[in-house]
Amino acid sequence: MSGRAWLARIVFAAAALGGAWVLFVGLPRWFPDESPAVSTGGGDDRSAVGAQTVSTLYYVSGDGLRLVGVPRRLTRRANPTAQARAILEQQLADPPAPLISPIPPGTSLRAVYLTGDGDAFVDLTEEIALGHSGGSREELFTVYAVVNALTTNLAAVDAVQILVDGVEVDTLVGHVDLQRPLRQNLDLLEAPSDDWMPADDAPADPDRSS
Amino acid sequence: MPAPPRPLPPVERWAGVRAGRARGIGWALCLVLAAALPGGGQPAPEDLTVISRAGRRPLPTVDVGGRTMVALTELLGPFGLRVGDDRQPGRLTLLRGPAVMVLTAGDGIVSVAGRLESLSSPPVERGGIWYVPIDFIGRALPLISDQPVELRSRSGLVIVGDVRVPQVVGRYQRMGRRSRLRLMVTPNVEPRIERAAGQLLVTFEADAVDLVMRDFAPDDLLRRVRVDDRRARLEVEVGDAFGSFAANSSPALGGSLEVVVDLRPAAARAAPPPAPDPRPAAEAEAGIEGEGADLPALADFAGPSTVSAIAIDAGHGGADAGTLGPEGTLEKDVTLGVARRLQAAIQRRLGLRVVLTRSGDVDVTLDERAAIANNNRADLFISLHANASMRATATGAEVFHLGPVEYDEPGDAPAGGERVPVVGGGTRRLDIVRWERAQLRFVDPSALWARTVAEELRARVPMSPRGVQQAPLRVLVGANMPAALVEMGFISNPGQEVQLASPAFQDAVVEALLQSIIRFRDMVEQGFPEEDDPLAEDPPADGSAPLREPLP
Repeated sequence: MSGRAWLARIVFAAAALGGAWVLFVGLPRWFPDESPAVSTGGGDDRSAVGAQTVSTLYYVSGDGLRLVGVPRRLTRRANPTAQARAILEQQLADPPAPLISPIPPGTSLRAVYLTGDGDAFVDLTEEIALGHSGGSREELFTVYAVVNALTTNLAAVDAVQILVDGVEVDTLVGHVDLQRPLRQNLDLLEAPSDDWMPADDAPADPDRSS
Repeated sequence: MPAPPRPLPPVERWAGVRAGRARGIGWALCLVLAAALPGGGQPAPEDLTVISRAGRRPLPTVDVGGRTMVALTELLGPFGLRVGDDRQPGRLTLLRGPAVMVLTAGDGIVSVAGRLESLSSPPVERGGIWYVPIDFIGRALPLISDQPVELRSRSGLVIVGDVRVPQVVGRYQRMGRRSRLRLMVTPNVEPRIERAAGQLLVTFEADAVDLVMRDFAPDDLLRRVRVDDRRARLEVEVGDAFGSFAANSSPALGGSLEVVVDLRPAAARAAPPPAPDPRPAAEAEAGIEGEGADLPALADFAGPSTVSAIAIDAGHGGADAGTLGPEGTLEKDVTLGVARRLQAAIQRRLGLRVVLTRSGDVDVTLDERAAIANNNRADLFISLHANASMRATATGAEVFHLGPVEYDEPGDAPAGGERVPVVGGGTRRLDIVRWERAQLRFVDPSALWARTVAEELRARVPMSPRGVQQAPLRVLVGANMPAALVEMGFISNPGQEVQLASPAFQDAVVEALLQSIIRFRDMVEQGFPEEDDPLAEDPPADGSAPLREPLP
């Protein structure tokens, strides 16, 4: 009886040790870190110094019809705010050809703040509005490149509000509402769909009477 | 039994078909009134009624050369006007404080405090008495008066100062043995409905009621609807066949309230076996109950009854030129050009009221644009824009509507205000809507409106591959009606720049929008087709329509 109990305990302990090894040593070794794990604080800082992480940045496709996500290797930073700053600075830089930057040239990052409840405030210089070509489509691309760059790469960020020269604005150039933090929009990455078109041109039958 | 004739107050106004006897009495009264008036002239068919804090008083009209006019002497005292001293033949100066108004006999332009206002016909001087067309009251007097003055010419009311006079547009529809009276009340004022001898009394918490009956033909269930002005009350005179009624109300487009009164014949109660009432308890609570509990399901009442006013928003303007074409065409000019063409087309071909958020090259903030549409009770909002892309080849029109994603936050305050008890039992939701949530109430109708616009555009102008999209566009956020934004084409594309500036292309866009309005209005009036029905999916728990109620 007691021999069996001991055996069970030994087997259990071995399994626990093995599991712990897999979890803490094996997995990280087998799967080198590609995820944007910047949501935690000091614990992984020591091991992360000099390590790299992959973040997705967003540019306009060659045909101008959608946003394209492009993975970029970035140095992992000590905390989410520093990581957010690094991501945004890379997002503001020139994209690889033939992609087009949705951010007007000359725009730079003034500051970025992360709140405790998932909102990020990104303060950009006025070039983002003054240098903008206008139009709803381009404005959506500009805004959501910034919003997606933080929300898809940082677990600590759910929504992003863009400020211009330190102040809240209604819009950049008259279309997209910047009065509140915006959540990520991945629809802009998809190829345009024609599902709004009717199957045929027959007008819908308004025959249903009340 | 029709109601016995009773003495009529002098300002009683009748709606619908008048009984011969009633008409005789009305004419006799008009004659008596006209005889008692200074100025003489032929009696006009309807006098006006002035409603102010001081009460009601008749404002006699006279027929001068076939036009309905008002003797100016009638307006001097009530509006604090006095005649200036510089008497010249054919010219009259009126003063109110420092403000001066100048009328010239035979000239339809009147100068009011330095502004020129045109009248439907010139003032007339006859025998030393000046007559002005009745639109003088609505156009010239507000410019010189220190309180609001509103002329409602359809109902013959002049509303002065801060008085509540809801407008009620009535429609009567026979449906077999039953019939339905729909009353669209603007602004939303809840009436109390009770049965009295031979009539239903619809009483409003207001200073007066302004009734317009459309396409009314009396029958054996409903003889007529008229206003009892002394009580802000409608008297619905029922016919011999009338047995019972059921009433219900719900908020409708444009801040109105739609009251539906179903009339049933006396003997018909036995015919259809009453099905178990499928309505949830909350629904019964939401309406006004008449006698009889077998109210039709609220879905039968779905949809406000029509679209009567369109808000057109010409994008950008003033210092904000919008985007710019390679040849220098400005977006703000294109949008204003199309807006004006669309305005003219809607007024000429559909006869609907049009509200422009800007009619010149001026700055208007995005929220102001929605506010203008809301305050003018538009039923539909269309914002006109031209698109831009860094790729010069980008081409085609796109239509946007607001998605719920960014605004429908569970943490937000309750959307629908508070429940309050109403006279006659039950409760109803007081409709206070936060700016940020105004458009949320119309997410589904707006999606349908955007799709309708895109389909009509597609038949006439090049479309972008991104035809219809949801986006958090600020100008749509506060619109309290179905709303969409159209990017008509890419001004950054040299070919499209030429198109956008051309009358032919602008007319094609206008035609598409006109057809969209007609289609959307039909859907609103006749009920949405099953596959498009914004009410079909996700019905709110209280059975009311998302068209009129905030999302749950």
